[in-house]
Amino acid sequence: MNRRIALIASALLAAAVVTGCGSSGPAQTSAEAGLTMWALSDQTTLKASVDAYNADHPDNKITLQLYANDDYKQKLRVAFGAGQGPDIFFSWGGGALNDYVKSGKVAEITASDVDTSKFTPSVLKTATFGDKVYGVPANGLAPVVLYYNKEVLEKAGVQPPKTLDDLKAAVATLKGRGVTPISLAANSKWPTLMWHEYLLDRAGGAEVFDRIGAGTTSGWLDPSVTEANRLLQELVDLGAFGDNASSLSYDQGAATALLYTGKAAFELMGTWEYANIVKAAPDFVSSGKLGYLAFPTITGGQGDPGAIVGNPSNYLSVNAATKDKATAMAYLKDYVLNDSQVDAYLAAGSVPPVNGLENKLSAITTPDKAWLQFVYGLVQKAPTFQLSWDQALPSEQADPLLTNVDESFLKKITPEQFGQNMSKVS
Amino acid sequence: MTTTAPADPTRAAAPVTRHRPSRPPRRSSAHSFYRTMTGSAALLWAAIVAVPLYWVMITSLRERADFLTSSPLSLPENSTLANYRTVLGGGFGTYLFNSVVVTAVTVVITVTVSLMAAFVIARNSSRWARWYFRLFLLGLAIPLQAVIIPVYLLIIRMQLYDSLLAIILPSAAFAIPITVMILVSFLRDVPDSLFEAMQMDGAGEWKQLFNLALPLTRPAIVTVVVYNGLQVWNGFLFPLILTQSNEQAVLPLALTLFRGQFGIDVPATMAAVVLSTLPILILFIVARRQLIAGLTAGFSK
Amino acid sequence: MTVPRTSYQDARAWRRRSAGAAMAAPALLLFGLFGVVPLLGVMVLSFADWDGLGEPGWAGQANWAAVLTDPGTWDALALTIKVMVVSWLVQTPIALALGLFQAATGRLRAMLAILWFLPLLLSAVAIGLAWQALLDPTFGLGATPGLGWLARPLLGDPDLALYTVIFVIAWQFIPFHALLYQAGIRQIPVSLYEAAAIDGASRTDRFWRITLPQLRYTIVTSTTLMLVGSLTYFDLIFVLSGGTGGPGTATRVLPLAMYITGFQAHDMGRASAIATILVLTGLALSLVTTKWSGFTRMNSQQEGS
Repeated sequence: MNRRIALIASALLAAAVVTGCGSSGPAQTSAEAGLTMWALSDQTTLKASVDAYNADHPDNKITLQLYANDDYKQKLRVAFGAGQGPDIFFSWGGGALNDYVKSGKVAEITASDVDTSKFTPSVLKTATFGDKVYGVPANGLAPVVLYYNKEVLEKAGVQPPKTLDDLKAAVATLKGRGVTPISLAANSKWPTLMWHEYLLDRAGGAEVFDRIGAGTTSGWLDPSVTEANRLLQELVDLGAFGDNASSLSYDQGAATALLYTGKAAFELMGTWEYANIVKAAPDFVSSGKLGYLAFPTITGGQGDPGAIVGNPSNYLSVNAATKDKATAMAYLKDYVLNDSQVDAYLAAGSVPPVNGLENKLSAITTPDKAWLQFVYGLVQKAPTFQLSWDQALPSEQADPLLTNVDESFLKKITPEQFGQNMSKVS
Repeated sequence: MTTTAPADPTRAAAPVTRHRPSRPPRRSSAHSFYRTMTGSAALLWAAIVAVPLYWVMITSLRERADFLTSSPLSLPENSTLANYRTVLGGGFGTYLFNSVVVTAVTVVITVTVSLMAAFVIARNSSRWARWYFRLFLLGLAIPLQAVIIPVYLLIIRMQLYDSLLAIILPSAAFAIPITVMILVSFLRDVPDSLFEAMQMDGAGEWKQLFNLALPLTRPAIVTVVVYNGLQVWNGFLFPLILTQSNEQAVLPLALTLFRGQFGIDVPATMAAVVLSTLPILILFIVARRQLIAGLTAGFSK
Repeated sequence: MTVPRTSYQDARAWRRRSAGAAMAAPALLLFGLFGVVPLLGVMVLSFADWDGLGEPGWAGQANWAAVLTDPGTWDALALTIKVMVVSWLVQTPIALALGLFQAATGRLRAMLAILWFLPLLLSAVAIGLAWQALLDPTFGLGATPGLGWLARPLLGDPDLALYTVIFVIAWQFIPFHALLYQAGIRQIPVSLYEAAAIDGASRTDRFWRITLPQLRYTIVTSTTLMLVGSLTYFDLIFVLSGGTGGPGTATRVLPLAMYITGFQAHDMGRASAIATILVLTGLALSLVTTKWSGFTRMNSQQEGS
């Protein structure tokens, strides 16, 4: 009897050994020599730069490991805590990266390592601490924009909204037609934060978050913080986000799917969503059904209507304890956002943060041209580009922030309580 | 999972004898009503179990576009194995191998050291043996989640971070208390006279352990092997914190990696779910009786 | 090696003791290193200031002051106890009923029992991913004609999420407890039922007067496993809530609160304080259940520990 179990177990073991050694899938690559690099799994263009590097350096390869967005921050921290952080790693810059810089985990990138002058200066600032650069941009500009399904809007007879009041009116009409007005992956919390950020920016202006970022408690207690929460809860009360928002997690992609399957009309998301939609539903984009807008203005708000929030870019940094800093820097210098990478980003519908892009943009003939020019223009004209708060703030504030954002969205706390709770954390 | 009430001493007298299932004499109308009630409740629960499993199966065979548009419980129009190919091409073999190694090694370590410990506890009435036992009783109450931070520190200091051993050692340690518990309650039912007889023949402690304790506790050993095997095979927190690279990922952790990788691709994620369960399902199909009997023998005796 | 050979008996006693020590040592070493040391470690760390990156420093009372005054801690503790109690209330009657059903013979019953057993083979992560997709209000089961009532945010509504989680936990663990009850029921001597039948006891009477009392040890075992086990529902809730214990903090039980504080907000000191509370809860629970099960064991011939 038991012999049979033992037999099966050993057979399984043998099978596992055979399959384990025989099939070397793309996810398993040997890490004997060369460097390791971590990034997010949707970054196919970045992956191409690693592939290019590896093709040129077959004896000193970079092993790229890709993670889901929601797991990444925890993984990186734990690995660094264990002294086994990757040699090159991806981040959003801001306070989260500064945590690592302050602990001496990140190597400075000097002008002799990488010529940083090719990058858009305002974007480089997000990875610059105390006049030293700790990360180079390695992704497209990622402001947050309002996507919409043109077909759904047309059917409902709704015009793309210019003001928040337009949006509210649209919500009422769309709801009457049985469509979820706005798709929101509230389970992941940071998509809800995007609404917070824009509402505060439009209502109170960029200056309010500057005070918050400077670490003063008065920032969170500014009346416009309460106003932003009030506006958000007003949208919730109107049923703008449907009944199911808090079930949707962004990594699962259902929030995106709602938009292109016509079950929802709007979605507020970073520019990376464009590439996701193209990938998931190419016909939807090529037939011109995808619309996009800057965030609506608020009548009587203090903020500049041209201001944007989101991620200026993503960054690649080098582990201070890397065994081969020269190789890491060589990769950053020659392969990240080099000419072919810039083209690859543009081809993927993403605008890389490098100077002198106008000629390339006007030379584009693909259907993405209008989109790329929209993004480029949005960033060029923006008086401020606020980094997402959960990245801008130090990590001990980021988690309470996301929790309170969620609680405010769920109306478990009042608009006043949001600022009070946050002022206690900072 | 742990228990502080392992043994049911009233049953100790007849641990192995099986009574025939109770089947009270038939009754007329009241009886058939009762039968209908329990029968329909049983069928309801069967549906609650079967529908999700069925959904996972057919979803894993769907095309991605089909998933978004068709009715969830309908059979897929064009069933495809592409999702399975995606998963298998994504390093599944490595994850399976890691899971098998981690589970097998952990269970062997746990059962070996626990059997020795249980033998000492059951055969000794000295004060230190009692304290020794009490230590494991205390261990039953420690949720492994609670000590993950110091375990993480410890693993880093031992230079074991991101290795399979980093999962094996703490998993084995936390399986010891329940295993000792179950084995002790079994060993205590072995009549002293058997051990004494062996002693008279000049057999030492080790010989008694291998030639008497081991064969007599076989049902309990099957129990702890199955129980610990399931726990370790399915364990998630230790792999989550104590390993990071794909090369060291075990199946439950790999599932979350796949989820992140596939995103919206629910059918592929479900294919990964099915594949991750397949090895244990095969084991279940082949050795169902032993598994089920083994799982309860140690708890319900 | 010098063995005190004063007599044959002494030598044997020494051999016995040394063999005993050798047998006891590995378990002690392993459990001591990864069980006892971390247990003490978590208490020490609860007084430390450590962000997970640098070196741990001394924090004094600060972590405890912060954790004990944070309403979130008490909410998490209350949620943990709620999960424990509601899980027991849900799982016990169903497991008992299924156990009764399974205990009788018959091909259909055996086949159903196998079906019920399947969730036990799935990992918590697999179950979490499956149910998360299954309960998706838009693309999940709710999209089936006739099952529209499922198309609601069962995991997203803060008032429903905890109960949904408890249901999924039950879905996974009921088969195990049903199995325990089945084994218990099969060990009840048939003669007891025969005697009762002769006395003319009804089916309900027989259940209350024979089955339930005879199952008391099984109930104790199953209850203890459920209660202590419910302190460790981490994996499933982690996956179902996307690692957040959300929506809001609706499913943030103690293990999740500890994980989020330590590994997402990177405050290992505070997380250790929460972990210590978790340990204390576990110890208190085990004291209570030991006492309670000891009480039911009054008439047993032998001491459990």
